[in-house]
Amino acid sequence: MKCKRCRKAAAAVDLPSHHSAFCPECFFVFFRRQVEEGIRKFRLFSPDDRVLVCVSGGKDSLVLWDILMELGYRTEGLHIDLGIEGYSARSREKTLAYASSRGKEPIVVDLHAEGVPIPEAAKRARKEECSVCGTVKRYFFNRVAAERGFTVVATGHNLDDEAARLLGNLLHWDADHLSRQHPLLPEAAEGLVRKVKPLWRVSEMETAAYGFLKGIDYVTEECPMSEDATSLIYKEALTLIEEEMPGTRRRFYQGFLDPKNRDVPGNPVADACREDASKDGKDIGEGGTPRKCNSCGAPTYAETCSFCRLKERVTKPQGRS
Amino acid sequence: MPQKKKEMEVPGPRRVADILADAGIRPTTVIVTQGRKLLTKDQRVEDGETIEILSVVSGG
Ligand code: SF4
Ligand SMILES: [Zn+2]
Ligand SMILES: [Zn+2]
Repeated sequence: MKCKRCRKAAAAVDLPSHHSAFCPECFFVFFRRQVEEGIRKFRLFSPDDRVLVCVSGGKDSLVLWDILMELGYRTEGLHIDLGIEGYSARSREKTLAYASSRGKEPIVVDLHAEGVPIPEAAKRARKEECSVCGTVKRYFFNRVAAERGFTVVATGHNLDDEAARLLGNLLHWDADHLSRQHPLLPEAAEGLVRKVKPLWRVSEMETAAYGFLKGIDYVTEECPMSEDATSLIYKEALTLIEEEMPGTRRRFYQGFLDPKNRDVPGNPVADACREDASKDGKDIGEGGTPRKCNSCGAPTYAETCSFCRLKERVTKPQGRS
Repeated sequence: MPQKKKEMEVPGPRRVADILADAGIRPTTVIVTQGRKLLTKDQRVEDGETIEILSVVSGG
């Protein structure tokens, strides 16, 4: 098969959802345009912004950092070492190796050092690992951004991630999550930085192909805590549909984002989305202006922010509070 | 869940798409590589050559 763009070189990447196939050079052009279009469409950020890129060491986040640097944005990487035996050390190593190959040094937050390694923190707080992980990550995204003057935080979620999440949210009519499922979440208050997902237009396969062709060495293993992730079921369902009807996943997610569809009268999703697209996490949700956490100063509606409450439960001697 | 990375010696000249179908792997969930090269699904692999099948699906 020949490349559908230059019609000279042999194709290396099939793109059935775009009815196309590209050679490596043309695929780079395609991928770059998709990401640029994704940034432009919702004005995720501008060249003046300082972008904090969350890099786990997996393919999506390293590809994200790579392409943003290539597009000339001002970026730094933030790696959160989750304190998960084996997996975290390997992820950190890949992240550092990638960064140094680009002459960068990421900011590293070590959850062991912070007193909240995910497995132990979850056990002591009697919560799911992923829920604890979410609280902790959100907290440090905001804190590092505020402390170091970043105007925006970027994560590597791709089209497949967002479409799967959308399907899950719709199946459960989760208006709260639907209202926050957008590639752009504006700054909600001082200290709650803008969050963006610049890869929302590219698929998981495209991201992997890009990473491979660019020679980016990423962690291929999954976080051991993710084993029963329901998101995989939604992904599988969408894959089934996508392979029968190429392009459906993209239309599904882009249709959700299309302002036209939000104005359909009586659409509960639209109402939820309109209500407030800028809520961020459990702390923020009551409306109004947040106050400062009396322990760390982070914005919150409670006396103490959810991170400090978690930390308190984790570091306190065992027993119920 | 399928393994993340699978190395495979190909029995007989075959198209990548057929190799994947035989292995019960959905073509859009993987990339198929040979050394530094990325293979399209219609590409033919010769008898005894080795390819790598890498799952692109992550739990996030
Ligand atoms: S799967 Fe691992 S990295 Fe992802 S949220 Fe759960 S604990 Fe955190
Ligand atoms: Zn080409
Ligand atoms: Zn706090």
